[in-house]
Amino acid sequence: MAFKLTRRNFLQSASLAAVALPLSDVIASETGIEASPFEPKGTVKDETVVGGVCEMCFWRCQLVGKKRGDRLVKLEGNPKSIDNGSSICARGNAGVQLLYDPDRLKYPLKNVGERGKPKWKRISWEEALDECGSKLKGIEEKYGPQGICMFPHGSSAKYPMHFFERTVGTHNVSEASFFQCRGIRDTAYVATIGMAPGEFVDMPNAKVIFLLGSHIGENIHVSHVKRYIKGLQNGAKLIVVDPRYSAAAAKSDIWVKIKPGTDTAFLLAIMNYMIANDKYNADFVEEYGDGFDEFKAGITDWTLEKAAKECEIPAEQIKEVAELLAASAPSVSIHPGRHVSWYGNDFQRQRALACLTGVLGAFFVKGGWVPAKNPKVGKMSWAKKDHGDEHNLNIDEEEELRFPFSPPGTPTELIRDTALSGKPYPIKGCVIWGQNPIQTIPGQEKMKDVLRQMDFVMCVDVMPTDITMWADILLPESSYLERYDLIKTGTQWDFADSQQQFIAPRIPLVEPMFERKDQVYITNEIAKRMGYAKDIPVNSNLEMVEKNLAEVGLSLDQIIKEGGIHVQKGENPYSMPEDFEVVFYNEDIEDAGFPGIPTYQPVEQPPKGFARLLYGRVPVHTFNRTQNNVWLNKAMPDNPVWINDEIAKTLGLQDGDVVGFINQDGIKSRTTTTIKTTPGIRKDSVYMAHGYGSANPLMSIGVNAGVDDTSLMSKITIDPETGAHGMRNNFIQLIKDDKILAIPASV
Amino acid sequence: MQYGMIIDLERCVGCHACTIACKAEWEVPIEFNRNWVYRMGPSLVDQEMASTYYPGLCNHCQEPVCVEECPADTVEMTFTHAKTGETTSMEVAATWKDPFDGTVQIDKSRCIGCGACVDACPYNARYVNPDQIDDVSDDGKADKCTYCKPRVDAGQLPACVQTCITGARIFGDLDDPQSEVSKYVKKGAVGIDVIGGDLGPNSRYYGKKKDMALLMSTQTPELADLGLIRRRAMLASLVKPAMKKARGLGLLGLVGALAVKGLADDNSHE
Repeated sequence: MAFKLTRRNFLQSASLAAVALPLSDVIASETGIEASPFEPKGTVKDETVVGGVCEMCFWRCQLVGKKRGDRLVKLEGNPKSIDNGSSICARGNAGVQLLYDPDRLKYPLKNVGERGKPKWKRISWEEALDECGSKLKGIEEKYGPQGICMFPHGSSAKYPMHFFERTVGTHNVSEASFFQCRGIRDTAYVATIGMAPGEFVDMPNAKVIFLLGSHIGENIHVSHVKRYIKGLQNGAKLIVVDPRYSAAAAKSDIWVKIKPGTDTAFLLAIMNYMIANDKYNADFVEEYGDGFDEFKAGITDWTLEKAAKECEIPAEQIKEVAELLAASAPSVSIHPGRHVSWYGNDFQRQRALACLTGVLGAFFVKGGWVPAKNPKVGKMSWAKKDHGDEHNLNIDEEEELRFPFSPPGTPTELIRDTALSGKPYPIKGCVIWGQNPIQTIPGQEKMKDVLRQMDFVMCVDVMPTDITMWADILLPESSYLERYDLIKTGTQWDFADSQQQFIAPRIPLVEPMFERKDQVYITNEIAKRMGYAKDIPVNSNLEMVEKNLAEVGLSLDQIIKEGGIHVQKGENPYSMPEDFEVVFYNEDIEDAGFPGIPTYQPVEQPPKGFARLLYGRVPVHTFNRTQNNVWLNKAMPDNPVWINDEIAKTLGLQDGDVVGFINQDGIKSRTTTTIKTTPGIRKDSVYMAHGYGSANPLMSIGVNAGVDDTSLMSKITIDPETGAHGMRNNFIQLIKDDKILAIPASV
Repeated sequence: MQYGMIIDLERCVGCHACTIACKAEWEVPIEFNRNWVYRMGPSLVDQEMASTYYPGLCNHCQEPVCVEECPADTVEMTFTHAKTGETTSMEVAATWKDPFDGTVQIDKSRCIGCGACVDACPYNARYVNPDQIDDVSDDGKADKCTYCKPRVDAGQLPACVQTCITGARIFGDLDDPQSEVSKYVKKGAVGIDVIGGDLGPNSRYYGKKKDMALLMSTQTPELADLGLIRRRAMLASLVKPAMKKARGLGLLGLVGALAVKGLADDNSHE
């Protein structure tokens, strides 16, 4: 519209008509800037709605929405939040573009083509639910509940996961957050200190922050980053161990340019040096340690020199790190990491990290590992039933655990191998809820074969991700901005402040559009059709949240009145549980056939002419989930591959050159990306951000943007204690102008 | 008063929250940015590895070259101090430096969309917004960071500052020696000075020595060739005011004004 209205001509026209009008709405600013009808007004005067809980990633910052009529125009951090405060990250800010993404799933769809090459037909919810219910019931009757497997991810997937696991009774659930991400960390710490460690490091109050591979800055979780930066501002020294000069390394005091896969050797040498030189926290070890003598004796081989050779770093630098840690103990934040599914030797490394924390006495002390004392809320879901272990793939013929330190669920490879072999039983139904196994799990072609042999595949998602191409029925879910859902709990992020707790239920900021439905509706309707109506625990997402709040004497009404977040007095996080101990040598691990003392296991090295493929994150994306977000795509439209500048020079490669990849098994990347040359990466490795290179043409923004790193992971490595994946044991060559470029010999 | 912004690179993690919040707040077209974050490095700076960010935005310069180049007809405009209510008048073209708060602003209704200011800005802080079309310019209107003047005048922080997850962006009055931004200037926060000019940028950077060296060595721009810009701007100013006069004849009148007011209301309430 070409209307023009300035203060001047408004006054002219008004005076012509000799009528006085209030000017306040026409003049945008008292300082003389004139309102122009087509100029964006900003959100100052928009309505504020409370109760949002973000899920652009899984940190779940608390939000408010700015609304203009029915339309959500902006998301902001909830000023009431003691977690993220008024801040949200790029992804959080871009939530409105997910909400209104024209490519989002809108209606139930039936695949009338073939899996992987779908032709979609819009069907009614009734038809879609009937199909899901009858097909899944049929599989359950023919093959038993174990004939159904599930790949869930995200807060909406918990409720259906509990239905299939607890009510229907299949063990075959593979959560990406465990088997391809943090499960190893959790079980390794449980085997050492009896607790999963989260990322509970008291960084604001630390003297040293020690990051092993964690690249905070490329990986963004708002209150976690706040803790990290506060720590650095408070003067903490930063040690970053990474083959690459990551965003975190760029802020470090010591960057340890370690050889990939050798981290455990590095950690053992540090501990051996501290123990041998009496620089460890003997009082703490004496009081809380278990099996320390065996541990001490078991790592004496790891001299600085031996580790230096193995890790390809100077012995002097290992000593420097050890000295700095020892001098600063116990106020040191040994970060447990988050995504730790690296090399298939990861359980031992995570054990070593936990032991290092123990050697320094850095548990439950200022600046150390300190778990927040979160408030409790209800956990309404499907009732647990005992379905026995007969069909638990993780239990072998001798009734022994195949992967004794597996995180909850069943290791992904056990499910996939069983599906492909039909032994010991067929797996013919597949429910995928919010996960994208095509770009999550190594062995992409294997995953496709698994899906091909299914009798029925259903997907529930918000976006047409690559996995949705493999569905028979595809159901559109309401997003985190359109549904009642989980209750985020936590504490204030800096433990130096007065102790507070918060409870923030996810409350919709807008109504769902089109025919999108939430998880309680979809799950219940399928449950009814499978004959489980009597087991249904709640009738709606709203009821679930109300009941979970009621358990602690709260209600949605009250929380909305309080600005979307209930804040209450907290507890001292530094008080140690009475039975706390650090198990340095763990007999149970040894009894299960693995080293009871953290042990370094070398990993396979790149074949001649290849470089190891390392991957990580960029701050504007959560894996593949955000790839179609137009704002985020524009911010980082592809995933340039980092290559050592000297290697690049010998290959004649320059910044911006377009390249593809071929891996050790001859698998080629489907798409290309650009070269980033830098001295900030080892010569034997290349690096790219994970999650790019979507294949689904329905993702009109994200399709073919950059390279899908997962597609190059055809070699599958399993961490033997946990059954979780190691994903950094694939090796690549570059392809430029159809020519394969062998990577020159390293070092 | 001179508003300014400090970017503390020691705190910045390069997360882009600032750029996306700005897009949402000001409906910036997908292909443009009022602010940006570039990552530099890792590269060697004096034999030391370094990598940092260039979170850039309009510098609201002391001597803004963009303002000088605007070929639109000047008008007398009255400015009011947001806090004291004091007023002053001055002749301005379609873009000016605010006499009270020192911000550089644009009158979209008088901008002829010629792009002279866009070309003149050595920092690439301006663009012509093609979504903002009227009968003065069917090319769009010059657009850029306003330091979120409407928010700031309403007592809020700029959108990028509010959302910054690490407190790396600090906004305030550089003329007030007690302000947080002035303290940073005393600590050594500096603007990115242009080669061949002395513009006095008021968005300033603070960081480790090697990071500042990397920022300055990679992001210091040259002053644009103003001669070329002026010739183009002159041509544009000859053509576009004809359109503008035609518009002036068709006064909206009271009914039109009410209609527009109604539209504005629809958009700003509830």
